[in-house]
Amino acid sequence: MKVDLRDDGRTLVVHIGGYLNSSLGEEVEKLVGSRMGCGARCLLLNFGQTRMVNSIGISFIIGVVEKVMEEQGRMAFCEVNRLNRDLFQVTGLTKYVRSFETEREALEFLSRSPEEGIREM
Amino acid sequence: MRLFGTMGAEATFREEDFFGREEELSALLRAAIEGGRGTGSSFMLFGPPNIGKTMLLLKLREEILSSGPQDDAAARPFPFYFSFSQILSHPLALSQHFLQEYLGQLLRFFGDEHPPVFDPEQMCERLAAHGFTGGRATLAAHARYTAAGDGLSALVNAVSLPFAAAGGAFHPVFLFDDFQYTGKLQGVPDGTMLSILRPYIKSGRFAMFLSGSSPGRVTAALKREGLYGAFQMIEIRGLAPEASRRLWEKLCGRRRIEISASLYPRASERVGWIPFYQRLLAEDIFFRNVRVADPITLENLYATAVTQGKLNRYWREFFENAFPERARRGRAIRFLKRVMYDRFPLDTVEGALSLMGTSQEEGEAVLSTLEFKGLLKSDLEQLSFVDDPVLTDFLYWAYERGLLGKGVSQVASAIVQARISRTASEAGQGEEHQRRINVVKELMRRWDLREVPQLLFEYGPFREKFDRKGVLEVVIGMEGETLRTRLPKISSVSTGYRNQKGGPRFDFDLVAYGFLEGEFSEENLVVWAVDVVPERNLAARAVEHFENRCRLLAIEKGLLPDRFRKWMVLNESADPAAIDLAAQYGIHLSHPSQLRLFLNLFGLEELGGAAEAERPAAAPPTGAEKPVEYELVLPMKADSEMVAARVAETVAAFASVDADTVDRIKMAIIEACINAFEHSASASGKVRLRYLLSPGRLELFVQDDGKGFQPSSRGESKKNRGWGLKLIRELVDEVEIDTGLDGTVVHMVKFLDGGPARNEGAEGKEEGGAPPATE
Repeated sequence: MKVDLRDDGRTLVVHIGGYLNSSLGEEVEKLVGSRMGCGARCLLLNFGQTRMVNSIGISFIIGVVEKVMEEQGRMAFCEVNRLNRDLFQVTGLTKYVRSFETEREALEFLSRSPEEGIREM
Repeated sequence: MRLFGTMGAEATFREEDFFGREEELSALLRAAIEGGRGTGSSFMLFGPPNIGKTMLLLKLREEILSSGPQDDAAARPFPFYFSFSQILSHPLALSQHFLQEYLGQLLRFFGDEHPPVFDPEQMCERLAAHGFTGGRATLAAHARYTAAGDGLSALVNAVSLPFAAAGGAFHPVFLFDDFQYTGKLQGVPDGTMLSILRPYIKSGRFAMFLSGSSPGRVTAALKREGLYGAFQMIEIRGLAPEASRRLWEKLCGRRRIEISASLYPRASERVGWIPFYQRLLAEDIFFRNVRVADPITLENLYATAVTQGKLNRYWREFFENAFPERARRGRAIRFLKRVMYDRFPLDTVEGALSLMGTSQEEGEAVLSTLEFKGLLKSDLEQLSFVDDPVLTDFLYWAYERGLLGKGVSQVASAIVQARISRTASEAGQGEEHQRRINVVKELMRRWDLREVPQLLFEYGPFREKFDRKGVLEVVIGMEGETLRTRLPKISSVSTGYRNQKGGPRFDFDLVAYGFLEGEFSEENLVVWAVDVVPERNLAARAVEHFENRCRLLAIEKGLLPDRFRKWMVLNESADPAAIDLAAQYGIHLSHPSQLRLFLNLFGLEELGGAAEAERPAAAPPTGAEKPVEYELVLPMKADSEMVAARVAETVAAFASVDADTVDRIKMAIIEACINAFEHSASASGKVRLRYLLSPGRLELFVQDDGKGFQPSSRGESKKNRGWGLKLIRELVDEVEIDTGLDGTVVHMVKFLDGGPARNEGAEGKEEGGAPPATE
């Protein structure tokens, strides 16, 4: 399974596995869109199992970030490897979403003050 | 009709003797209680004999009984313990016993007196007073089936009894012990009992716990019945150190024996952390009235227990029951001794049969009995034996005493000697080494009489021939190799000669037994001893050491030179002297780059990330002056960019590039390909790639024959897109784009090993634009 979802009603945790390309990016965007629309307020993307991300994959992640911002939800990344972190930095994603080493830290962060979720522009 | 009661294992259960396993117990208890709420689960508890499965079930029963109803409205869980090992093998007897146990335990559950005589009619009457009304009809049916001699119907009828509960006052929780015995019923096919229980399992309203020591058998039956998915498998192992310590304390207190507390861990390890053995050993110590103050006394007492004490008696009776016929018993013990004590590498049925050297029929019968008794697990064709130190030592005793006629004290002292001289585990065998061993093991399993270029086993000549050659040249060159070697059909390949106790030291990472021509005969047997070198560089001394061990093994097993192969798999490099010495001794030597070719031949490229680990080691050094060039043409279709990345990875591997740089190179070429796929509008639908590896740099060219583009104006039509070129610039050190009406070439350069303008990542780089700002 490339995408694995966990939803506790408040936080949606998405594990993205393998090669995050156009088709996988679209799948993630769709899944998140449908879930965030119906209840979940926080989103955590876990990249621990992501082997590679291409630019189209990143564009879908950007779309997801926008969607969460529109819904005034909160968001974080975790377990991003060094290369992907660099790519997120180049595309500016890191300015909007905080990244954590572990899923636990990220969940803790999401359960804290709501102001910090997606940084204010 | 009158049913007579028997006293089962539950009669001997003493709650205060139960130690440890708190976690399993609380999880199982939760599942048992939830059964009444329609969320019942089915569990299969498995583990070797004596490990404590029955105790766990009986303890669970006690816990369920004392848990009481969760709330007033809920039905109470009624734990019904039934051991299939007590029954006779006839289904009529089983059904009768089942009815009797069920009625009796239910009466006790309702707080009734244990009836002095089993009078089922009377029991049914008393149960009716508690709201359980279905008993009579079931008994009447049972009498009818008994009269007709119809065992199967009687069994189905008996197992319907739990359904007869009226009023929802309780829900049965099934604790079925020794379930493997259900496969031994006369005239009833294996798996029938599971079919009969199916309604309970499928309804999800009854928690069911099956326990048994031959999981292979029961899981096979579960699979056949389509019930495997409904069960959770729980392996029961030895006690945790803390629980084991508490048990020693308890036993010392009760038996008034004295064992130094500092010896508890050693004593527990000696008996494999199995509580049953702890009790037997404690009884032996009590019987001999010895104070155990030092390790030597402990070792001696243990050796005495296993050669003439209670541990010995237990296993002797076990084998006498399992193999009543003396000759067969001897064969089974000799076979097990070779596998468990000598660690004869064996994991297939075929191998086991040839090791036993009996007729196929007898060999299979022995294996079947051993499996039934829980001493081995058979998963498809793969055999695994229990890890039981006491049994292992017992087998040694039985072999030395019974077959070699040695005296008890001689055997006991040999056991003590082996234990005391046993060295600690070798250090430095990290996970990475283990992983490499597993890769080679898996490769050997697949050999299966194939022919491969001999050069794969000869690092010296391989290096000479392909020095400074690129990967594609090597691949093509290997295809043209006429000198080939035929691999055997491997019957078993085992790890674990390292760290073994006592005996001659013939420790290797792998020892494989195979047969030439695929025929299982002594003449065809060939043995391969393999070391996967953990050190980065192989020195001549290590080759000497390997050769010495090989000679020991050859003497031990009486192997002829042409039936014995020696193989060392290098880690990164080897001293020239080591390569020469290996050639002199006839030791096969393979470099990781050869191993990769080997793995490719067997379609094992992806195995356990082998490519990742072996990346830094490469045959052709990069000091070459002449650049090495590769070309590739790709169709423009989804995901074919991954092929380009794979080739880049292979090329980079020949330049000893670190993993991070390889990932960057792969990403850059992926992005360049995607750009071409998406924007070139090429008529041919193809992309041409070139990889140019020269000292200190890797150049990549991605060329299309499309309409060309203006980088600055490549504003994206699609939302959030257009990061490709920016990422490429980030990932490599130089980018040049040559575009025109007849196509585009993206030329990328990555400097290797600190070449000019080495890109060290994104630190300090400009950050991209605001992603969420839509265009």
